[in-house]
Amino acid sequence: MIEESDKDDDTALSAEYALGLLNPVEARAFETRLAVDPELRAQYALWVEDFASMTDGIAPVEPPKSVFDKVSVTLFPEEKQSWLQKLGLIPALLGGLVAALILVVATNQGLLNGPGVSSPAYTAEIVAEDQSLLVLATYDPVDAVLRIERTAGAARDGRTLQLWLIAGDNAPVSLGVLADGEVSTVPIPDTLLAALEGGLLAISDEPLGGSPTGQPTGEVLAVGQVVTL
Amino acid sequence: MTATTDIEAMIGRIALGDRQAFSSLYSATSAKLFGICLRVLDNRAEAEDALQEVFVKVWHTASRYQVNGLSPMTWLITITRNHAIDRLRQRRAASGEMDELAELADLSPGPEALAVAASERGRIAGCLGQLEPDRADAVRRAYVEGETYAELAHRYGVPLNTIRTWLRRSLLKLKECLS
Repeated sequence: MIEESDKDDDTALSAEYALGLLNPVEARAFETRLAVDPELRAQYALWVEDFASMTDGIAPVEPPKSVFDKVSVTLFPEEKQSWLQKLGLIPALLGGLVAALILVVATNQGLLNGPGVSSPAYTAEIVAEDQSLLVLATYDPVDAVLRIERTAGAARDGRTLQLWLIAGDNAPVSLGVLADGEVSTVPIPDTLLAALEGGLLAISDEPLGGSPTGQPTGEVLAVGQVVTL
Repeated sequence: MTATTDIEAMIGRIALGDRQAFSSLYSATSAKLFGICLRVLDNRAEAEDALQEVFVKVWHTASRYQVNGLSPMTWLITITRNHAIDRLRQRRAASGEMDELAELADLSPGPEALAVAASERGRIAGCLGQLEPDRADAVRRAYVEGETYAELAHRYGVPLNTIRTWLRRSLLKLKECLS
């Protein structure tokens, strides 16, 4: 049997510390030495590098977005602001202006759904506060598209109208730039369907081609809540 | 994969309170670190909580990164692994030491049946491969499962002192191979 030398002892001790195998008293004693002994620190660092490589084969898994939101709220509580606040939409959704945001029930949903189709149908009327823009959005579950009908207003000269879906405190998701014509359809991937229910649709004024940042950059011209029929 | 120097630069900026850098670091590394939380904790909700706590810790300790001499990913992985292991040990303690040990005892047939799924690659994989399988396994269990000497002794049916001697010797062999 080989006797462990002091050097070996430190090698093993560094590894045990890195693995968390030392009892609290031993661990504290090791930490005291670590603080003043650069050689020991180097040895410990080597072990940590090697042990960390034991995770090389662990596949990355995308965490849900809520994790980062919780981190942000914990670290930067003063920034706890919903997108509705950031976009200045709270006043529009409260008080006297609500009348302009009342939801309409589409008339031909029954036809769209057809018999035996159980998918929910959603609709939202997206209205500018001064009625200068009036857009009716109806979700068609058969084709999985939003049918957008603009009955009043248009994009400003050299600008474009972009449609957004805002669900809860999540960042707005672009549903695309509205076509110039009065009627357009926007495909809704399955992954967005849950967000559509109870979400808000908003239209912002953006440069041609749409927002360069992936988030609304211009004035929010209209907003409306999605209701399930 | 974001370059090591980029991650290092992000940590440096986080130390100065740069929230944008923090957000970038999260984008670049959270999936890897979440994978580790999931592997250690084997429970999605707990892994999410652990990841959240890890990033809070990263924000608060970024200024100490420079002095520890670790590569940036190792630093992040180690914070994550250690935090997940702390949680795992708390869970074990809460679920009752005796139950847990009984469970371990139930699991103690031959070493082949005990093999931990190996997730390492490269140098350490080769060197672990040079140890006897159950000893390599004990090292993995200590790192990835956070098993303590008491748990390992129970699992392998040997006294506490023996398992410690055993593992220390394995670690020295491992070091010899690694250096």
